[in-house]
Amino acid sequence: MTSTKPPRIARWMLRHLMPAAYDEALAGDLLEEFCAGRPVLWYWRQVLGIISIRFMRELIAHRAALAFAVLWSMLAPGWLLAVAHLEMRVHFSDRLAGMDWPWSSVLDLGSLLVTNLIFLWAGILLYLLPDLWIAGRLKLRAVRSGIRASLPAVVVVWAALIVLPKHFLAVSAPESRASAGVASGVRPPRPWGAARIDDENVWAAYDRQLAAKHDEILSRAPAAPEHAPRVALLDLRLATQAARIPFFLVVLCTLWSAAQGPKNRQQWNGRVR
Amino acid sequence: MGDRSYLGEFELMLLLAIIRLGEEAYGVPIVRELERHRKRYVSVGSVYAALARLETKGLIVSSLGDPTPERGGKAKRYFRITKDGLRQVQDTRRTLTSLWQTIPDLG
Repeated sequence: MTSTKPPRIARWMLRHLMPAAYDEALAGDLLEEFCAGRPVLWYWRQVLGIISIRFMRELIAHRAALAFAVLWSMLAPGWLLAVAHLEMRVHFSDRLAGMDWPWSSVLDLGSLLVTNLIFLWAGILLYLLPDLWIAGRLKLRAVRSGIRASLPAVVVVWAALIVLPKHFLAVSAPESRASAGVASGVRPPRPWGAARIDDENVWAAYDRQLAAKHDEILSRAPAAPEHAPRVALLDLRLATQAARIPFFLVVLCTLWSAAQGPKNRQQWNGRVR
Repeated sequence: MGDRSYLGEFELMLLLAIIRLGEEAYGVPIVRELERHRKRYVSVGSVYAALARLETKGLIVSSLGDPTPERGGKAKRYFRITKDGLRQVQDTRRTLTSLWQTIPDLG
């Protein structure tokens, strides 16, 4: 099947994802061949090939950032467990339980997000620190752009940064407050739709049931987490790997943006024939 | 000899195509020439990546032509082989020929 115009999505992808090194000549070549009778499938194949070559080259150019992101995200479960240990030691969950909603939830989620950000920013600084020895000064512009880039990246994977570490902690440290809900000693709110129940007896029974469960959990001695932070570093279980993914993505995106771009980028000269 | 890197197979083919096309060596005819001789699909992206590499090595130079309406107002980029490039092609040919002469009949 042939058409007079190349597919709109493919053209958009070519315009926005084509390597900066390739100028308009490449897009013109594709268009010329397409108008000469090449099929739509050929155009798509070429565009996808160009984009994949671009990403391979960029990955190679950013291989140090890629390796660091892998290594740093490997440490994330250990960091999460270390913080969970510390929180259990200072009875953070009891303090949360004593607070009213929504402050308990805000503090719960907010503290986990801050914990994650501290870990991510420490990684960015550590990656950029060698500049101190090489250039004699820290590239503040790179640090600033790294931190700036990490914020939208954190927003994008915010849910994953909360949900996956929480799931990991629920599996590895079930008594930590990050495992949330009744199991952590935090009294949950009334269920959705419960406001429509008018019978006060139903509410009273529900509250009594919750209070009993709550008291039972608080009366138990805090159990030691299943895994020590040191062991979690080499833990390759699915929940642990899933907790590493958002850290990996944010560190990689941040360092990628902080970098100057691929060093081997070829700049065509602009000579006109 | 030590400061010169060897040409890859694809790079050599590109240089030969550029020599053969002469003044008309830009993306489209280069791709067609390669497809005609290799008898298989050639990715324009990989051709441009290799051309960029060859230009970095100083084996070819490129220049932009005038924009043309049939290409959506986009200019052609013409490629020309340099003296270094030509020398590299001749060296490779000499090496390959002498190597082939040492090989017994494979048929």
